[in-house]
Amino acid sequence: MGSGFIVGVLGVSILAHAAYSTVQYRGLLKIMEDEFSNPPMNVVIELLLGLVLCMWAALTVPGKFLSIHPDSEENRMVSLPGNLDFMIFNHRAKVFRSEIDMKLKL
Amino acid sequence: MVTKTEETQLNRLENQVDNGGGGAWEYLCLVKKLKVRRPDKVLRHGLSILNDPKKRSALGPDVWTLYEQVSIAAMDCQCLDVAKDCIKVLQKQFPESKRVGRLEGILLEAKGLWAEAEKAYSSLLEDNPLDPVLHKRRVAIAKAQGNFPTAIEWLNKYLETFMADHDAWRELAEIYVSLQMYKQAAFCYEELILSQPTVPLYHLAYADVSASSIGVITIARLMRNFHLYSGFCGRDTVLYTLGGVENTLLAKKYYASTIDLTGGKNTKALFGICLCSSAIAQLTKGRNKEDKESPELQSLAAAALEKDYKQRAPAKLPLLTSALKSLKTS
Repeated sequence: MGSGFIVGVLGVSILAHAAYSTVQYRGLLKIMEDEFSNPPMNVVIELLLGLVLCMWAALTVPGKFLSIHPDSEENRMVSLPGNLDFMIFNHRAKVFRSEIDMKLKL
Repeated sequence: MVTKTEETQLNRLENQVDNGGGGAWEYLCLVKKLKVRRPDKVLRHGLSILNDPKKRSALGPDVWTLYEQVSIAAMDCQCLDVAKDCIKVLQKQFPESKRVGRLEGILLEAKGLWAEAEKAYSSLLEDNPLDPVLHKRRVAIAKAQGNFPTAIEWLNKYLETFMADHDAWRELAEIYVSLQMYKQAAFCYEELILSQPTVPLYHLAYADVSASSIGVITIARLMRNFHLYSGFCGRDTVLYTLGGVENTLLAKKYYASTIDLTGGKNTKALFGICLCSSAIAQLTKGRNKEDKESPELQSLAAAALEKDYKQRAPAKLPLLTSALKSLKTS
């Protein structure tokens, strides 16, 4: 969590720096009265690096992935719940009394 | 729905609680959440919490649901005086409550006073005609008296209003199965598969029903005691008809989808594939074999079964191999 979070902060700051560089570059173009052809190399590299770092952080920081496979251990149904809304009481408990003779103390 | 992880968790907690390791409240919560029926354990551990003033006050307002849970468990164990005491406590706390009124009705049921219980439910229904639990209890009364036609009638009426209630569909299906009305049961299971397509157990039940409806009923019987079983020869061609082939094919497909959804960890579905394949082979013997689909399915299922048995019950492996062999040769 800790290291992932730091990586995420780093990624975001690199992206912010790339934005700042772009603004500066546009200012420079205006001063030099040049035509815009393509973004400077350092901004592109920063963007790619920021993308990778942010993606990595976003995948690790929030937590573990849960399985979506229906046959995984967390999702595989092994039994249906007892249909308790329809439970009926005439079963063997009537004959075989349970040996619990606890009473509710009022 | 109880998943594999939840089941292991429940068993672990149950072991821990039974051996005096604490965690009774967590266990009771899990039992309630998973809706499993463990009345004796709920009664014992629930009472031990309720009889301890310190533990009881630690629960805060949750104590009232515990009283409810324990009272129902007590009725299930036929400890009616405990149930009565629990209900009395609840009544003192919530004098006008409908939920407590329902519990009283259930207590009447547990005593076997059907007419009184029915009367109690009808008077509660007058105040709140759309309470699903009350309708379900009336079905349960009819069922408890062995009056299945009435139970079916009530359930059908109930399902006209509450169509999305899959518990009720399941109950109806189970009643139909117990009466051997497989066509109707199949309809209910179709409904269940439509509403919850990822539950493999409905696919399995549907496959069982379609297989049973044509006389491969031995499947169901075999599943129940397949360890005792030694020589299924598939010779009983009692009810095998042409319609039977279609149903068996259908059953095989649904067994296959169960295997798909459980990752091949359902023994019953694997057995079902083997039995259906051999039944189909027998039924279509001598006929053109153009519509033979996935012939390797049976051998794959058999291999999976053998692997599973080798791992979990090596002593039963010879039984299994002889049974599978007789299926193949017949």
